[in-house]
This record gives sequence, structure tokens and C-alpha cells, in this order.
Amino acid sequence: METVIGIRGPDFVMLAADCVQASSIVVMKSDHNKIHKIADKIAMATIGDAGDSNQFTEFISKNLALYKMRNGYELSPKAAAHFTRRNLADYLRSRTPYQVNMFLGGFDDKEGPELHFIDYLANAKSLPFGAQGYGGYFSASILDRYYHDKLTEAESYEILKKCVAEIQKRLIVNLKNFNVVVIDKNGIKNLEPITSVKLDAAIAAAQGAQGVRAH
Amino acid sequence: MFQQMNIQQNFPEYNIPGKQHHDFSPYESNGGSIVAIAGKGYAIIAADTRLSSGYSIHTRKQKKTFKLTDTTVLGSTGCWCDTLSLTSLLAYRMQSYVHTHQKTMSTNAIAQLISVMMYNKRFFPYYVSNVLAGLDEEGNGVVYSYDPIGHCEKTTYRAGGTAGALLQPVLDNQIGYKNQNLAEKPEITKEKAISIATDTFISASERDIYTGDSVVICIITKDGIEEKTVQLRKD
Amino acid sequence: MSILAYNGGCVVAMRGKDCVAIATDHRFGVQAQTIDTDFEKVHQVAPKMFLGLVGLQTDILTVRERLAFRKKLYEIRENREMTPKVFSSMLSNFLYERRFGPYFIEPVIAGLDPKTSEPFICNMDLIGCPNVPDDFVVAGTCGEQLYGMCETLWKPDLEPDQLFEVISQSMINAFDRDAISGWGASVYIIEKDKITVKKLKTRMD
Repeated sequence: METVIGIRGPDFVMLAADCVQASSIVVMKSDHNKIHKIADKIAMATIGDAGDSNQFTEFISKNLALYKMRNGYELSPKAAAHFTRRNLADYLRSRTPYQVNMFLGGFDDKEGPELHFIDYLANAKSLPFGAQGYGGYFSASILDRYYHDKLTEAESYEILKKCVAEIQKRLIVNLKNFNVVVIDKNGIKNLEPITSVKLDAAIAAAQGAQGVRAH
Repeated sequence: MFQQMNIQQNFPEYNIPGKQHHDFSPYESNGGSIVAIAGKGYAIIAADTRLSSGYSIHTRKQKKTFKLTDTTVLGSTGCWCDTLSLTSLLAYRMQSYVHTHQKTMSTNAIAQLISVMMYNKRFFPYYVSNVLAGLDEEGNGVVYSYDPIGHCEKTTYRAGGTAGALLQPVLDNQIGYKNQNLAEKPEITKEKAISIATDTFISASERDIYTGDSVVICIITKDGIEEKTVQLRKD
Repeated sequence: MSILAYNGGCVVAMRGKDCVAIATDHRFGVQAQTIDTDFEKVHQVAPKMFLGLVGLQTDILTVRERLAFRKKLYEIRENREMTPKVFSSMLSNFLYERRFGPYFIEPVIAGLDPKTSEPFICNMDLIGCPNVPDDFVVAGTCGEQLYGMCETLWKPDLEPDQLFEVISQSMINAFDRDAISGWGASVYIIEKDKITVKKLKTRMD
């Protein structure tokens, strides 16, 4: 039911995740942050079993911190993705596999921005853009249509808004709010969340300006 | 789907403890492959002659092509008993058409009839892979292929049966000129079609255990239906 | 749906005259959804040896890593290069260690012996049963189609350029009839003194 979206631009990575915490048919919370900072310039947007997501992201981030303390430098995003995948793969064949799907976004000072797709089977792939969860079915074509390799941060945010609008229009589940994070050479920065309230207001304003009746 | 036939479930008094029960299975795959190619003024349809079940071969001499009219031939494989009941019912329906309309059925009329007959058994289908080849009203070749519940597609070439997956890309390449950057795509002559069909069967019999022994090729032209047999691997 | 067909993809390898060829498609998907179109399933494991893995992507990555580790260990211990024959039996043993909880992959190995330059191709099932034929090997979700294509196009003693044409046509026409393979292809031709890599443009649907 949950959704995460990732876009890699020429000098940044943007992650978006919905904010719903649900139990069975009940929405418990709609301001739950699913994008975790796991290093100075690495963030992970995770969906899946709620407990597993928290446990697993914490496990990874603490190990990255331990690595930094032991070695005096951080794991690169690529290495962090590899470490994450490997742990997930090992747990997959244990008695306690983690049910988590994620995007790992990071900025490497030498290699530039990176976006890694990892699912609960530990299938992993570095991607220019992607989406997971039910919202992924609605976002894939939008990302395909609007992505290009000279994307700016502002354009990228606009694409995310298009994806969220489509999800809110077509997906039966109510995913009101999406947290957005951007990672670039300066580190991790939270952007304004994309919310249905703001999107509706923007659409109404645009239609008002053109004199179009909402239906 | 076949719950109504399950004796154990519906008639508990037949359930004697300690007795070995066998579920009734109405289908069996008897194997076999078909290739059909249509061109200007001709259509060919080829089918192997092996009839098997699991690892055993019932016969090496079972023709799977059925001459329906002077210009139409049906190739049918899959569950052989379904092929037999379908083709005999088809023969009856075609005869009835002759009596009603005072003319033999055209290839496209037969194609439609087969589709309707197959769909009539939508919820207990004939387990067959059908390919129909013949000449249309202008005397040019046409091929129709079917799924087990009567979906019908008109094409110029088709492979079906147990080696269908092996042969279809070969036909795409050799007959449809797919993925070949040619300036012009020469028309497939009758002789070329026969040679490609033969070659594909030689290949199929190398890898598909349900295809082999020999292949019967029906060559349909306005002068009638000629039949050729080529020997294949027998192991 | 089979777990071996979860991500989709295919690999084929062929023997020619004093050369071998191996080809892969580029699709990475999760069931019917295509996630990316630049996932190479063939990797160079030695100067004249390539390993193709198809099946569950997670296991493709894991097996590739573990195999690289074991190969390096062998080369340090023995101080000599691994031949394709040795590599394939190492892989076979590696897979059989997981006999009752296997890696869901089908491997294909293609290479030339580093000393004799003898062509070698090999494939295995997911628990490591090896098959070393003298013509071609196929693996992946369009295996049947590949068998049909290879069986009609391949003949003995193909020269490198002819082999390239045969393997490319076999692979492209085979995966065009499979919904979860394709989206581009790479072909590697391995000769005694050179390796040629070619990227093929194919239909993207």
C-alpha cells in the first residue's frame, strides 16, 4: 500500500515517501517519516513491515556509524548499498527475513549522486529513477515521460508532484502526505512535503485562472 | 473446474479406507507440432507423425493434418481424443453446411466455424492446438491459429504444438524477416517455404521429445493438395 | 510463477572455430514490470572467460560475489590462472553445497583455455549439474525459443564474424517471443588474441 519514489539528477538525488502508518484497515498516523538519514550524505526511504523497516534501517545506520568510528571515514553510498543488500540477502535465507523494500540515495564526493533500488529479496540495482510499492504502478510512466539527464532540483520536485497527484487520483488507498528529501554535495536536506491539500489548492488555482470548472 | 467429477468429494460412500483412489483427469497431452506458412498462390501445413504419452510412443505414423476441403487443411495436436472429437464434429457441421447452402465451405468460413465450436466448450475446452491453412477466395494462402478456447488469429505463418515455442521465433526470423536489416524482403516461394518448414522440424525433433519420426507436409494450391513426407529422428 | 522467472532474462553461449561467443539481454524487471534496461547478466571473470547468470537477481549478485572470492583464493593458493574447466567444476560444487536450499540461478560459462586456447562452453541447472556440449548452451525464461533458434542457425566451425551473426539472431528472435526478456542485448566474442563486445539495439517492448 505504501510508496517510495527516487530520482537521480546530475548533482543530486531526491527521495520521496508517503507518510502513512497503517495497521490492518486502520490508518494510525499520516505524518510518519519513512526517509531515514543513515550517514552524512546517505538516506534510505523504506517501506514494508513497519517493525522490520525501523529495525533494519537502524541496524544499517548503526553499522555505518561503527564503520566510521573504526576506520575514520565513511562508507561510500555504493558500498553502503552493497552492505545493505548483502545483509538483506543473508537475512532472506535465515529464519527471520526482513520484509523491507527501499531506495538508498546518496552523494559521493568523487562519484556524484547515486540511487539504489533494493527490494525484500535483496534484488538490487543502481537506477536513474524508480518507484516501489503500489504507487510505483502509477508513477513509472510519469517518470519515464518526464525524466531527462539534465534534470534540476526544481524540475525533479515537479515530477514528484505529478507522481503524487496521480497516486492520489488513482490509487484506492489514501496517501495524503509525501515527505521529500534531497541529497547533494552539501548533505541531506528536507524539502517541503507534498500534500494533497497543497496539490488540490494548486490545481484549483490553475483551473480558476483558466476559468475551467472543476469536475 | 472438474469438481463435479470428483467421486471422493461428492460421493463419500465410495471412500473406503485403505483403498487407492485415482482422481479422474479428463486431459492428456499426446504431443506433436504443426507449422503452417501461407504465400501468394499457395499454403503449406506440416505436422509430425509421432503420437505419444509421457515417455512412451503410441505410434510413429499418426497423421495430424486433416483435409477439410480441396483448399483447406487443419492441423490439430494436443489431447488426441479431443482432436478426434473436434474433427469429427467439424466434418459433420461442414457436411450440414453443404446440404444447407449447396456449396463447400470457404477457408474463412471454416476458420470462423472452428472458433465457434471451440468456444462452445468454453468451460470444458478441447485441449488442442489448432492451425488452419488454406486458400482464400482469391486463391492466396492464409493461416488461422487458435487457442484452446477458440480465439482465432489470421496470420501468414504459425508454429503450434509442443515445439511451438521452439519454432515460432525461427519462422519470425526466416519467413517474417524479423530483425534482418534487408533493403528488400523477397517473397517466400512455395519451394522456400517447404524447405524452411522441413528444416524447422528437423531442428524441433533434436530438442522436443514429443516431435519426431516423420513430418507430413501438405501443399495446398489451386491444383489441389499435394502431400510429402520427410523422415525425422526416431529416438 | 516460477521463482526463476521472477526477474526474467536470458543468456546463450556458442562454440565456433577457435572462438566462443556469449550473449545476454539487458532487462531487469520484477515480474511483469520492467525496472531497468541496462542489467548485464554476463560478466568477465578472467581475461578469456565469461560467466552468465540468469534467474533471481539477488542470487545472481550473491553467486557472482562468492564465486569471485573463491576464484581469487584459488589463484592465490595455487599461483596459476583458473581454466574454464576448473571454474565450472568449482561452480558446480559451490551450487551443490546448497542442494536443499538452492540459489535460484542457471549459470552459463564460456571461455578459452588460457594455455591451449581450447574453446569451452558449459551450463548447469540450479543445483550444479554440469553440461558441456560441443555446440551451444542456453538459459533463461526464453530457453525453449533459444533452443529452436540455435538448433536451426548453428553449424560447426563458424568463424568469429559468422558466430556473431548467428548468436545475435538467435538471441534477438528468441527473446522477441518472450515478454520478460530483451530490451537490448550484449554479445561477447572471445578469440585467442582479442575480445569483441557489441551492444545490440533491439525492440524495446
